[in-house]
Amino acid sequence: MTMHDFLKSFKKGMEEFGYTIAIIVNSILLSVVYFFGVGITSLIAKIVGKNFLEEELNNSQTYWENLNLGKNKLEAYYRQF
Amino acid sequence: MYILGISCFYHDSSAALLKDGEIICAAQEERFTRKKHDISFPLNAIDYCLKEAEISVDDLDYIGFYEKPFVKLERFLYQHLQYFPKSYKVFVSKMPLWFNEKLRILKKVKKKLKYKGDVLFIEHHMAHAASFLISPFDKAVIFTIDGVGEWTTTAYGIGEKNNIKLLKEIKFPHSLGLLYSTITAYLGFSVNNSEYKVMGLAPYGDMNKNTNLYYKKLIKIIDIKEDGSYRLNQKYFSYSYKDKMPSKELCNLLGKSIRKPDEELTQEHKDIAAALQLVTEEVIIKTLNNLHKKLKIDNLVISGGVGLNSVCNGKILKKTPFKKIWLQPDPGDGGTSVGAAFYVYNTILNKPRKYILKNASLGPEFSNKEIKEFLEKNKIKFSEFKNEKELINKTAKLIFKDNVVGWFQGKMEWGPRALGNRSILSNPTNPKMQEILNLKVKHREKFRPFAPVICEEDALKYFECDNPIPPPTDFMLMVYPIKKQWHKKIPSVTHIDGSGRLQTIRKDQNKMYHNVIKEFGKLSGIPILVNTSFNIRGEPIVCAPKDAYKCMMGTGIDYLVAGNFIIKRGDNPKDIWDSDEYAKD
Repeated sequence: MTMHDFLKSFKKGMEEFGYTIAIIVNSILLSVVYFFGVGITSLIAKIVGKNFLEEELNNSQTYWENLNLGKNKLEAYYRQF
Repeated sequence: MYILGISCFYHDSSAALLKDGEIICAAQEERFTRKKHDISFPLNAIDYCLKEAEISVDDLDYIGFYEKPFVKLERFLYQHLQYFPKSYKVFVSKMPLWFNEKLRILKKVKKKLKYKGDVLFIEHHMAHAASFLISPFDKAVIFTIDGVGEWTTTAYGIGEKNNIKLLKEIKFPHSLGLLYSTITAYLGFSVNNSEYKVMGLAPYGDMNKNTNLYYKKLIKIIDIKEDGSYRLNQKYFSYSYKDKMPSKELCNLLGKSIRKPDEELTQEHKDIAAALQLVTEEVIIKTLNNLHKKLKIDNLVISGGVGLNSVCNGKILKKTPFKKIWLQPDPGDGGTSVGAAFYVYNTILNKPRKYILKNASLGPEFSNKEIKEFLEKNKIKFSEFKNEKELINKTAKLIFKDNVVGWFQGKMEWGPRALGNRSILSNPTNPKMQEILNLKVKHREKFRPFAPVICEEDALKYFECDNPIPPPTDFMLMVYPIKKQWHKKIPSVTHIDGSGRLQTIRKDQNKMYHNVIKEFGKLSGIPILVNTSFNIRGEPIVCAPKDAYKCMMGTGIDYLVAGNFIIKRGDNPKDIWDSDEYAKD
């Protein structure tokens, strides 16, 4: 194995190692966010009876909801929301 | 003025470039990366667009992006708030993509393209609805329907001149597109990829609402109102909190577990596919009848992934009062780059509409010089046609003699269908051709039909098309019955229910392709060819000469007609790769 091959393998190994570490760290951080952020909010919402998705079927004549989406001012399109 | 449209990070990334309100080029990223439905930032597609226009990124006046990422994030978070703690796995697996890609689109654009100009964010369904702007209509009803955008899954509105107003919507989690995908997953096919297979499978099932038991079951999971609006009973679905779309309750209702991809397709599976198609058509036809009654406009534009349901599209003018219909060649998410770009130009900047999309040839083209260089460099044996007449005559003769011909000419097509620039052509009068193509070339499921291509002026003789033939037929987006007397004469393109997903072609769209069909007609008495996309299952359609050559050498394609050259598979090293091994969804 030449030095070039060694360095190439080493770099690849380090990248894979870094990737694995990133997955572990991400999973830990996201788990914290999920259980403490999403979880607590969700529990409070459930206690006060808040639904985040309108899932229920009903007896109304239509399920169409107003959207009224048309042309906005130019500035509105710079926003990502 | 140059405007670039971009769509990415969900499925089918793409880019489209406009110059002064006319489209110069458009392409999907998958064609360059060779990764089907590639979702990554469409750097290669953008690079192609800029090179084609001979401009640099600094010449761009605006970039239009196909959705509002933060509104989509809101929906994503709401799903998790609703379904805590069931959604844990999806949250942890999907959130990094949001942080690394979806929410950093501005940074991506600036860093990857070194672009310093303005980026405008268009609502997803508005980017779909903007297909109206390249339609032949001054005024039309617009109906958009897909899996999901930010929140909207189905919407309707009116397009008039430069403006679009979307009036009403149905919101996530209720989605006809997601219902179709859920049943696709239940039937063992891949989601966001194989929905068209379920559509092809449906005619093998019982298409009678009164006798199909699964229709009676499926109608329990969707509440359809008289005006076509609908909601899904969420207990039958798990897509709001899981990667797997059908819930246990759905499996219980349908009486079987999810089909494994290699498991045999039973009559029950076929009946489920039929029931799904019936439900889909019921929602769409009811909605459109209601929209016509309410809005009193005869022109209709459909967009969104469900617009790829060509079986339903072919029934719309017969079953509703609409007189004209239009869909762009790529009604799915890939097409939103075109929609976003035109929305910026025509609507936001209020520039006049001056372009109607009549031809889907918007992708990369390779000159004879480039093709010859590739062939010579790779020591590929080939011969050159003396002129176009010889090319047409010889190709038609080869097809007539039951050879399978790879046809690589001109600009690559925009959209998911091969329309005669990157196509595999063969003889529809040979009863074994469907089997040959399926097993030797495409490696795809036996039940799937092949599409016929016919010159527009001949279509009414062979097909029970709407008259006049609607423009989306040029983009293979309409399925029509084949007239009974021709069923046995063109067996390879006649589906089990006697229908065909035809492509019509006009001389001014693609003269050479038109002439090959006509020449084949002189030989066989029937001016129709089998036209299937130039790829194997699981691969994107070929883009460059090397992709076409590789595809031919790994399959049972007999000849490749690329530009002015013909390459015979038998003259070149065999088995450079085995496509069968790679054929997958």
